[in-house]
This record gives sequence, C-alpha cells and structure tokens, in this order.
Amino acid sequence: MDFDELAKVGSMMGSGGMIVMDEDDCMVDVARYFLTFLTEESCGKCIPCREGIRQMLTILNRICEGEGKEGDIVMLEELSEVVQDASLCALGTTAPNPVLSTIRYFKDEYEAHIRESRCPAGVCKALVSYYINPEQCQACQICLRECPVGAIMGGKNIVHVIDQDKCTKCGTCLDVCPIRFAAVEKLSGRPVPAAPPQGTKVRRVKKAQQ
Amino acid sequence: MEAITITLNGVEVSGHPGMTILELARESGVDIPTLCYDPHLIPIGACRICLVEDERSGRLSASCVTPIEPGMVINTKSPKVMERRKMILKLILASHPDTCLVCDKGNRCELRKIASDMEVGLIELVKIPQLATIEEVNPFIERDLSKCILCAKCIRADHELVVQGAIEYINRGFTSKPATLNDEPLEKSECTFCGTCVAICPTGALMETKRPYSGTTAAIVSTICPFCGCGCNIDLEVKDNQIVRARPGKGSTVNRGTLCVKGSYGFDFTRSAERLTSPLVKVNGDFQVVSWEEALGLVASEFKRIKENYGSGSLALLSSSKCTNEENYLLQRFARSILGTNNIDNGSRLYSAANIIGLGSPVGFPGTTNHLDALEQSDVILVTEVNLTSAAPIVEYAVKRAVKYKGAKLLLIDPLQTGLSSFAHLWLRPKIGTDIAFINGMARVIVTEGLLDEEFVTRKTDNFEALSSELERYTPEYVEQVTGVPSDDMRHAAQLFAGATTASIVYGAGITQHVTGTNCVMALANLAMLTGNIGRRGGIYALQRDCNGQGACDMGTIPNLLPGYQSVEDTESIKKFADCWGTSLSADVGLTAVEMIEHAKDGKVMSMYIMGENPVLSFPNSTLVKEVLESLDFLVVQDMFLTETAKLANVVLPAASFAEKEGTFTNFEGRVQRVRKVVEPLGDSLPDSEIVLRLANSMGCPMPYSSLQQVMDEIRDLVPLYQGIGYGSTETKGERRDELDRDPFRNRRLYKGQFPSGFGRFSPVQYEPPVEIPGDEYNFTLLVGSILHHSGTGSKTSRSPRLSEFSPEAYVEIGPSDAEQIGIGQGDEVKVISPLGEVTTVVRFTTTLPDGVIVMPNSFSSTPVNQLFDIVLDPLSKTPALKACAVKLERI
Repeated sequence: MDFDELAKVGSMMGSGGMIVMDEDDCMVDVARYFLTFLTEESCGKCIPCREGIRQMLTILNRICEGEGKEGDIVMLEELSEVVQDASLCALGTTAPNPVLSTIRYFKDEYEAHIRESRCPAGVCKALVSYYINPEQCQACQICLRECPVGAIMGGKNIVHVIDQDKCTKCGTCLDVCPIRFAAVEKLSGRPVPAAPPQGTKVRRVKKAQQ
Repeated sequence: MEAITITLNGVEVSGHPGMTILELARESGVDIPTLCYDPHLIPIGACRICLVEDERSGRLSASCVTPIEPGMVINTKSPKVMERRKMILKLILASHPDTCLVCDKGNRCELRKIASDMEVGLIELVKIPQLATIEEVNPFIERDLSKCILCAKCIRADHELVVQGAIEYINRGFTSKPATLNDEPLEKSECTFCGTCVAICPTGALMETKRPYSGTTAAIVSTICPFCGCGCNIDLEVKDNQIVRARPGKGSTVNRGTLCVKGSYGFDFTRSAERLTSPLVKVNGDFQVVSWEEALGLVASEFKRIKENYGSGSLALLSSSKCTNEENYLLQRFARSILGTNNIDNGSRLYSAANIIGLGSPVGFPGTTNHLDALEQSDVILVTEVNLTSAAPIVEYAVKRAVKYKGAKLLLIDPLQTGLSSFAHLWLRPKIGTDIAFINGMARVIVTEGLLDEEFVTRKTDNFEALSSELERYTPEYVEQVTGVPSDDMRHAAQLFAGATTASIVYGAGITQHVTGTNCVMALANLAMLTGNIGRRGGIYALQRDCNGQGACDMGTIPNLLPGYQSVEDTESIKKFADCWGTSLSADVGLTAVEMIEHAKDGKVMSMYIMGENPVLSFPNSTLVKEVLESLDFLVVQDMFLTETAKLANVVLPAASFAEKEGTFTNFEGRVQRVRKVVEPLGDSLPDSEIVLRLANSMGCPMPYSSLQQVMDEIRDLVPLYQGIGYGSTETKGERRDELDRDPFRNRRLYKGQFPSGFGRFSPVQYEPPVEIPGDEYNFTLLVGSILHHSGTGSKTSRSPRLSEFSPEAYVEIGPSDAEQIGIGQGDEVKVISPLGEVTTVVRFTTTLPDGVIVMPNSFSSTPVNQLFDIVLDPLSKTPALKACAVKLERI
C-alpha cells in the first residue's frame, strides 16, 4: 500500500490512519459523516467548497432521511466534479472523495436508500423500524422498562408492541432483548407488520419443543 | 522584461510577466465573467467564476489569480469550463434569495447579469437560504446579508482602498460574513459611510438606505463631485430628470473606485425643497418673485447707476470657488471688461490664498506640484496641520495606502489627533501657531547635518545663503522651547524627511488659515527644495477646500491677477486681454474678499455681486459682515439657496446646481475635469454662466460666446496653464471620458526638475509668536475646522437630507480634565465666548486634545462660529485668520 495505490482506488494517505468497517456501517452515512466534518472545516472563502459541500451534504442528508430522489447520485457526482476542479485549496479539492469513492464501490447502497427506502446496514434511522415479533416475545418486560421514551406497550404475559409513532429508533429494545428470545427485529426497506390485537397473550414455547 | 506569449482561445497573445490570465484576456478583448475581481483590488480567487482551462493539462484555474506562463494554451470557453462555471453559479443562486423582482439592485446586479449571460435559469439544487438583515439606523447604508455572496469586495475595498478597517470576515465556513467589530451596526463602528463598499458590491447585499429618488436608472452621466477640492469623478444615475444615486466614476485616476460620504450621499441637496426656483427682488423688506428680465434689468440699471455716480471702484464682485472655470472666467471678464474693476475675488481667499504667494514666489507655481499617484509612491509623507479625514478624504486614503501597503513612513505634525495618527511613524504635536519655528528647525537640522540634496540646491535653486543664515536662529533647543516638541524628536523628523529618496508634503487650512499662513507655506517650500523633493519626485500637496478652489484662482478671479496668474500690473498681460476683449482694462490692483467688507464699511464700496459664496457665515466677524452687507447700496446674490447672505440681498438670482450645468472643475492637483449636465435646472434657475452672460446682455455689452466650448477655447488661448485643454468631444451624456480628462497635466506639472521660472528661490521666513494666545480671561484656544459630513458653510450639506440627518448640529470638543475644571459634563450646553461674540453649543468629550484646546466644526449655520473671530489678515495673502482664537466657556 502506498500513495499511488491509494490514489488508484480513489482514496488517499491522509494522516496515515485507516478505518475498518463492516456490513453494519452504512456507506451513505459514512459519506455524510465526512462531509459534516468538512463543512465545519471549510473556511468559506471560495464558493465551490463552501456552497458545494453544503449542497452535497444536504443531498446526503435527504438520502439518509429516506427522501432521496432519482438523479441524486448524478447530482452528487456533478457537484463533486465542481468542488474537486474549482476549489481554491486542497481541502476543497479532496472534499468530494468520500462521496465519490462510496458511490464508486457501494452504489448499490445508495440505490437501496433512494429506490427502496432501505438502509442495508440499518444505520439510517429514518429508514429502519423496530418490531417485536409476537411469536417470539415472552413478555419479559425488559425492553418495556428500558425504552427511554415509553414507546413499548404490553404487560405480564401480554405480547409487547412498539408504538411506531413514539419510537425514536434508539435501538435499546434490540440491545436488551435476551438473545434466547430474539424477539426484537430491525427492519429496513419493508413495512412494519401489523401489530397483534391488544392484549394478545404470550405464546409460551414448550420445553419439549425446545 | 521579455513578453510572454500564450495561446488564448486559439489566438497567440502576449503580455508582460506577472500579468494574470484574466488581465491579458480582458486586454485582448476576451470576456471572462467575474464576481470577486475588481481592478482596484488585489485578486483573491474566491468566486471561481473566472475559471479557464489549460488545454495542455486539462487543469482548471482561476484566471484572476493565475499568472501567465510561456506556452500556456488557455481555453476560456471549453465545455468543461462552461459546465463548471454554470454549476458554481447555481451554487451561488441556491443560497441567494429569489427576490430579484423587488430587489432595487435590478439590472445592475452582476450575479443576475452573469446568470442571464450564461443561461442559468431555475436551478435544480436545494435552496439553502442565508441569514438575513442587520438592524441599522443610519441614513446611508443598508446591509441585507441574505444576498451576500462573500466575494469580500466590501472587505477588501475597506482595507485596500479606503484603509478604514471597519469591516472584516466574522465566523467561518457557511456562517462567515462581512461584519464590523463584534458584529455591531455600522453606525457604532469605525465606518465612515464612504459608500465605496456599496458601489463595489456585485449584488443587492449592500444598498443605499434612503434614496432621494427610486427607480431603474435610465442614464449614467460622469461628472465631478461638488464638495472638497479632491475632484473625485462620480457617475450619477438618472431617471425622470432626478438623480437616483452616485457612485465612484469608472476608471478614475483620482478616486480609484472610492468616494467619501459627501460624494456618495451628499448630492441630494440638489433637490432640496429650499432651492431657489425664480429670481427674487426685495421690495420694502420682502422678497417678491420676478421674471429674469426684470431682475437682470434692475441689476444692470443699478450697476450702471453706481458705476456712473461713484466710479468702477465702488463695485466689488465675489466669485465662487464652487463654480466652474468657465463661470469664474466669465465673471472676471464681466468685472474687468464691463464693470471696469479689478475688485474681484473668490471664496478660496478664505483658506488657500496663502499658496498664491507662498508657493508662487519660491516655486513659481501657485499650487500642488505633483499628482496623487506620486504621493502614494513617496517613501516619507509629511502631513501637517490638516485633518485629511474631513478635508480631503481621497488624499487620506492615498496616504494610508502608502503607509500600509507601500512601506511609506508618515510624519504627522499636528497638535490634534486625526484619523492618520495611528498610521504615523512619528507624530509630533507642536504648540498651535508654532509651525514655522518647527519647520525652520527641521530645515536647520538638514542644513547643519549636511542632509540636503546639494546638487539640487546648487543647480536648481538660488538664495540658499540667505536661507541658511536665517535658519541659524532655529537651534533644536530654541525650537524645543517654542514648539514644546523634544529636540530629539524634531531632529529625528528632519533626518527621516531628508533621508527619504522621495518625500512629499501635504498641508491644508491648518497652515494657510493662520496670520502667518503665507510664510508657513514658504517654509514648507524651503524644506521641499532643500531635499530636492520638488519638480522631479515627491512634491508639495496644497489641499483645496472647495471643488474648484484651484480653478477659480487659475481663472483670475483674483484682484491682482488676470487668468493664469498674469499680473494686472504687467502691461503686456493687460494688453493681451484688452485686445482679446476689445476694451481697455484697469491696471489697478483690486480688493480681496475681506478688504471688500472693510472698504464697504468705510463707504468706498457701494455695491457687491456675490456668486455662490456665503460671507455672513464664512467671513470672520459675522456681525460686522452682516451689518456691512445690509448697509450696501445694492447687493446681488446669485445662489442655489436663500443663504444667510442672500437674505440680505436686494436681488437674488437662482443658480443651477453642479448637476444641472456644463463646465470644468480644476482639482487641487491641477487636473481639469469635465462637469456635465445630468438633470435640467430646477424651476427657473439657470447655470451661473448663463446668468452672467444674460446680465452682460442687459448691461448692453454682450459677451461673444454662443457656447461654453467657446469660453474654454478662449481660456486655452489666453491662459498658458490651460493650453491643450478643450472639451474634445461634444458628447455630454454617457460614460465616455474625453480628451480633456485624459491629458490634463501637460502644462501644470514640474516634470524633469524644471521650475517654471528656471530656479526655485529659497524664501527665508521668520517665526512670529501667534497672536491668538489665550490669556487669563479668554483661557482656551478654539480651533475651528471642517468635519467629514459637511463642507464649507454647510449651505449645501445642511440641505442634504441624509447628511444633515446623520450630523445635525454643532458641538464643542473638549478634554475631560479641562471640562472638569470649569464644571461641565458631556452633553451640557455651553456658551463659547470671544471678545467679539458668542455661540451656544453642546459639549462632547475628546480625550486626545492638548490641554487648553477646544475644537468646533465650522459648517453649521445655527452655530456660526466665525462670529467669534476678529478680522485679522495675513499681510501677504490677505487671508483672514480663521483657524484659532482665544475664547472662554460658560455653562448655561
């Protein structure tokens, strides 16, 4: 790995740091993260950098919010070219790199966001929902207690249900749901199934079946 | 230097090294759009609209900051360039409000113009509005930063042209914007409201707050500012016979894109409701409106009667340093050839007549000896006794630019703090009225320490021995004792001045309005000649208070000099003019301005004709002046307004404003510049020249001119200084500059070291203690001066709605410790009393005044400060002392 190799794949050496990411990182969100950083770093002197990055960030925000449009990727590429070619200093000329390289290698993720309202990594909050599978829920009440906004309804022996309107998608329920139940699911790109009727009793899993 | 050749859009063009691609392209007629570029400013490459492509590498670069290199192959319109440019424009538009329909910038908006040129319409980008208006309560500048594109032109104009430092970037990134210190409103900042930023702003972010007239500009007419003697070029935008706004003249070498608050906003006096619109005749103490024929008939018959009964010497004329050259020429011809008197003087007698002998005798030329550019190139600039901020803003900008950007050292000799104090390398504060001692002291140091330019002194000057023996007295110890300036500082100043390759001297009314004014000017001329700073580099810059102070003198509205400073006592000159005018001329020296009053008091002058001057306010001892003018047999005043003087007249003739007439003004440098008619005269008012010509007709002695051009042609023939000057073009409207403006210096500059009379003559001058020393009873020294927002007696500026709103009344500046001693506080009303009179005003504290010195502005008719002064004339120039007098303060 050297300067040229990195340049060839659309990256650069920078300060020499390297970040390793897996499938749980949304590439659109990563691009958005870097552009947020760059908007703070831009001095504001030249127009392509000041306005271009801000414009690109607005588009990325929109995509992450699930409001991406056909044409956004092309627009991002066009803006990237201008910012790259026309900016005054190296901050501006390299600012579009995160956008360009994520589009280059992870275009499908962008498309999933725009066309299917799906965040494959499940990072973009606007595109994910949490759902308690009534078949699995054992009404242990842990998630019900832990939910910071009181969005989970239910009770002893009653299947818990997430009030989607109240849910802030913090993911606490998923984190605390005991692994042996695995009742909480994170959904993206598909609708949340209808909740079971209120007061549905828990379906106990028989020991024999276990 | 070898030329560099590049290929520009397929054509080979050459430029000099250091030139940018943009400069070369514009020179070659290739248009590249720009938003942040201005020829007066250092390019910063911020907007990136001016991108061009180097076809060899495909790289894009901002042409405004990229120097040309040999072999470049530049394409200014390649598809890539156009695509990028359009996108940048879209980015700007995305954060710009869509209020073009109601934006007063209208078609003057450069952003809108470029967008339309490049066919950028509705944009597909997300609109990201910027945050908006700042609450401001000044009548001049309104900032709407939602329209700001951050080109930084305003900031750079403020720093690089005006060097005021009122605004700077604040914050960064998207939140960055131009702002004052702590983001306060402009009126609480250092801003002087010069309007330079408003004129340079490409969008509607900076606009005039109050407009005298609204509407889309129909025509732009280039003319000259009617206030101080700088002679700034202004472009007046007109619609419906009304002036909409003023902006700095394009391509002006005088003001270079800048103006001051008066130039930018003061023109609105032209549509003041107080303008006179018809001739008035006083019947039984009341003015009655009459026709021109009636008024002029009355003036003609009265003048004839007085001339016949009492002789020509009983008539006196005061011409105006605010009227054009042509008008001054006509009036002096009227006085000399028709009335037969040399009793003609002009308003500049009151402040700058000291130059006529003070410079005329040693240098041979009664005015500034070099142009403004040369001042800016000086290594050392000596500014003495003048507050350039108010007296000559454009010169102040040039001095500040020289100090800040060109490494010049400023030597400030002034007892008062001015806007230049913080720029001074050395700021020395001699006691008031001791300038001659100080300057002679400097000259002595230069002579005794052998710092003089010996070759220049030997070859180009004479009378050096007399000077050096006179200077003997002015030892550093003696000078320290007289001026109060430590001798080491004085010596340092002399060494600095003499050590400079190029040194210039700037002075103004603080020198010339003293009783010793003429001598002091000579002392300064000596200093310049000793160091070889005259006639080849550096120079003496004698400032003028009025727009045509220099021109009025050039035109011979002087009692002892014919046009072009040709003496009335010189038979040859008299013959030349007499032949041309076909009449005999008097060879008796006439009366100067204040002498006219003195003679009228004694009954020797029976009648006066005053054109565009206001002696009741501008002369010393106003009470006496008023009495005398009232007692005249017949007084005619020709003015735009019913001034304090006009109220005393028997006949008042309504004159047109500067914007309503044609002609020329000569600025303090000697640049003859064209004044153009912008709007029609108000009501029945007429240009002063027309009034004089009609009056000559009524007198039965018509003057043979059918146009002002013929007047200028005659001036050119008779006045050696004005040779080669003509209207050049009959084109009067539009933005064209004609021949007149291009080469005005031909006969006025002392180029190549040649003094007009062959040699510069040293004139030894004596220091005499000032007469206006405060005593026991009158224990303060009052200094009187102009302020930035007003000029002269304020007859124009006090009728400018915007200027008078911002600066409505007079005040007296006093040091807090002095104030404490007499028990007065900030804002208190006090009486300022001299042996001659008293005025009432309010107290304003200023911490930087020397003890015992108070300062008042002189431009307010409600506080006629000149009535505190007695009539004391400089024996040489006959200029009344109007700078300093002893007063006492009384709390009301």
